[in-house]
Amino acid sequence: MTGAVAVFGVAILAVGVLLAVVRRSVPVALGVQAAGVGIVGVAGAVAFFSGSQVGSGFRAGIHPGIGLDPLSGFFLVVIALTAVPVLAYSVDYVPALPAPRVVTALGGGFLLALIGVVCARDVLGFLMCWELMTILPAACVLIVRSEPAVRRAIVEYLGITHLGGVGVWIALLVLAERGVLGAAQVVPQGTGIVVLVGLAGLIGFGSKAGLVPMHVWLPRTHPVAPSHLSALMSGVMVKIALYGLIRVVFVWMDPAPTWLGVALLAVGAVSALGGIVGAVVQGELKRLLAYSTIENVGIATAALGASVVLGAAGAHTWAAIAFAAGLLHILNHSVIKAVLFLSAGSFERATGEHRVDRLGGLLARMPWTGAACAVGVLAIAGMPLLNGFASEWLVLEALVHAATDAGRSGGVASAVTLAVLAATIGISLLCFVTLGGRALLGRPRSEGARDAVEVGVAMRAGVVMLAGACVLLGTFPGVVVAPLMRMRSVPSGSVGPAGLWLPGTGGLPTIGLLAVLGVATVVLVRVRGPRSAVAPVWNCGQIDEPALTWTSAGFRSSLVLSFRAAVPTEHTTVRDTRDGVLTGMEHTQTTANHFETRFYRPARRGALRVAHLARGVQSGSLQAYVGYFVAVLIVLLVLARVVGA
Amino acid sequence: MLSGAVMLIAILAAPLLTGLIQRQKAFFQGRPGAPILQPYRDLRRLWHKQVVDVSGAGIAYVVAPAASAAALLAVLLIVPVAGTAPDFGVGHDALVVVGLLALARCLIALSAWDTTSGFGLMAAGRELTFAVAGEFLLALVVLTAALPAGGTDLPAMWLGAAGSGIWAHPAHWCGLLGMLMVVLVETGRQPIDNPDTHLELTMIHEGPLLEYAGRDLAYLQWSVAARHWAVLALTAGLFLPHPAGVVAGIVVVLAWMLVLTAVLAVVETTVAKMRLLRVPHLVGGVGLVALVGVVSWIFGVAA
Repeated sequence: MTGAVAVFGVAILAVGVLLAVVRRSVPVALGVQAAGVGIVGVAGAVAFFSGSQVGSGFRAGIHPGIGLDPLSGFFLVVIALTAVPVLAYSVDYVPALPAPRVVTALGGGFLLALIGVVCARDVLGFLMCWELMTILPAACVLIVRSEPAVRRAIVEYLGITHLGGVGVWIALLVLAERGVLGAAQVVPQGTGIVVLVGLAGLIGFGSKAGLVPMHVWLPRTHPVAPSHLSALMSGVMVKIALYGLIRVVFVWMDPAPTWLGVALLAVGAVSALGGIVGAVVQGELKRLLAYSTIENVGIATAALGASVVLGAAGAHTWAAIAFAAGLLHILNHSVIKAVLFLSAGSFERATGEHRVDRLGGLLARMPWTGAACAVGVLAIAGMPLLNGFASEWLVLEALVHAATDAGRSGGVASAVTLAVLAATIGISLLCFVTLGGRALLGRPRSEGARDAVEVGVAMRAGVVMLAGACVLLGTFPGVVVAPLMRMRSVPSGSVGPAGLWLPGTGGLPTIGLLAVLGVATVVLVRVRGPRSAVAPVWNCGQIDEPALTWTSAGFRSSLVLSFRAAVPTEHTTVRDTRDGVLTGMEHTQTTANHFETRFYRPARRGALRVAHLARGVQSGSLQAYVGYFVAVLIVLLVLARVVGA
Repeated sequence: MLSGAVMLIAILAAPLLTGLIQRQKAFFQGRPGAPILQPYRDLRRLWHKQVVDVSGAGIAYVVAPAASAAALLAVLLIVPVAGTAPDFGVGHDALVVVGLLALARCLIALSAWDTTSGFGLMAAGRELTFAVAGEFLLALVVLTAALPAGGTDLPAMWLGAAGSGIWAHPAHWCGLLGMLMVVLVETGRQPIDNPDTHLELTMIHEGPLLEYAGRDLAYLQWSVAARHWAVLALTAGLFLPHPAGVVAGIVVVLAWMLVLTAVLAVVETTVAKMRLLRVPHLVGGVGLVALVGVVSWIFGVAA
């Protein structure tokens, strides 16, 4: 039944793609696609909540297979919960783009590929959908934008994710060859195969998930895409990469060794901190959001690492809770990042500006989009009681318990990760208070922002749906956490649904906290007194000039100056003076990118050098190539003899 | 029962702490100083004054004082003063307290963006910068207190720190040092911040408050007092020696809170304000000490 519903949904989605190809209106095609994705999401939800398995299991052979289990179901829910509002938003957004029908068709194909990765049950099907998931959004971006910088970013994206993707192939093919796929067995413990599969999986899936140091493509690619696609790439695609990592670590390598957990903790902590440091110094709205995706993928990865070290130490209950924390954060971040990217797209439409410092006062001018964006900003900053707080609270709790119960190496790694994540959340508060305050509050800082008007109904509906999901997921996190714990064969007990009640915590009673906060706030605002006089802002008697207002760079300057040893920045100031009078001034601040200068640039140079050497082999003469074939054949035969004997 | 009553009384008694600190500070500085009940007089005065709104400011400006007071109210209902505490429907989790304190900070910073006041924004940016190192430190301090209790349930942590056995662990000493630093950061006292400054350029917590008057300012001043109560009660209950019994525990914890007000007054009299950009280094450095304590616990070091 569930399987039939899922197949039906995929069929509807495919019809939606075809409708865009044959000449029909784009909104109809998008509506059909949304219906299809919604149906697939319902099927996923049934599989997730009931814990049932439908369709075929994983198999090593080349026969194609599709199926659903609770883990796949969860990720189908992630896809649907984000994609349906995104498609609703697209009804107004896409027709104004160049080539809207192609964009619609490719977007639908992208969703099909995402669903395919999650539901594929054979290696070839998985890898095919995996590559399509990489290529389709790239094609879409290239159709919409043709500037050289965008082309370069896309080439970089394809290059890094394909090189990293080799890890995916290695991990999956080794697993298939060892008979882990298909049979109900896991990788034999303590063998070199564990090391090979673990590292290949971490690099392969990690490069697609944007984990540091394989992340450099992400903040360049996601911002140049049209906003509805940015939302899907940042919200869903990187999570599907984590799906692969979870499948490898928690299913095929279960129980994974401690060292892999420590590696996940380290990569997660570095990604979280690196991502948010990149975000906080960004002036460009969508680029900032892309950096913050790296941060949140890091937080989720750290939770998964905590789950591995807890599981290896035998603390199964908290291992399951840590696993649930990671997946809950994946779900929450998908929704939050989608609402933020979509409102960034609306702001760009309404104001023509893409820099945070050129917006301002949008909450008053665009009340629907502005309010939804405010919810997203507070949620991603981890403010109680929105969904970002629920999952970050759970991740921090998981790390506290990992520090207590996960032995020495796991414990110390968890304690350090806990402290790093706490600092990360502190920086993200600064970062998103800047974004929210500068873009939504105060006065407009440009003509575009001053003349902004609210966007169309469909674009409003998309962001409002997602903001509503942020509130609901923040109030009822237990609904998701309980089945996630059962997925790890741990009884969920009395976890939820409203709030989270877990052993060894003081509890997160969302309803009680909401009641206290809500009632007290409303009462205090009411008794504040109606007799309010209006006065200008206190500026020590200076004239209140709009040009003199604080910028986002000024707001974060204490942070940048305090930590300039760790994050070196370069300032250049150009002064225009005419007859000794200062007439204009331009200030630019650039932040050194160590990964670019110390890691990727040398690697690129080395690769070019090797390619130069290899060019000698390419003589162009047929005899030489035939000679190579013969040589390779002989070497292989000799190898087969030696190894086979 | 008794502990619940004390937690509810804290809502009214919190301004007493700031009054006590000011009074003792005046004593150490050789001034007569204002009476201990001066914060209550200030609140009464503000209550009867007119609210003055900043022209052009919107909803964030209006809601921020009330909502941050609400967040602090929830904190007071969470933070216990004994090993048993009634559940007011808000749980007893240490990390929820951290989140609510951050929420109050966030709201005040957003109000500064809403007024676009240069002083407010400069100050809010500084406060959020301190909070980055502050959160790093706070997470590790919570962890040192959570280790003996096996979790972040505050009454259990309170009981875990009771008695004398805990003092055999170096982790507890490191945690105490870290918590004292947290007190300075969260209450905004010297050498981190000077709550008595009247010079806008040096303001940190006070900066965004410049734009408020009347009952809004009363909410904000009560929030500062409530913040004092919460961190002092946590310091006394989680890191200072106290018996495990309810009545004796409450008495000892309240006594420690009085002692801590004296400590704050002495520190504030004798230590000058630090250079702004050095503060995160100091706070982060103390955080590293707390981390050493955590590692020592994990490796089972005990005297």
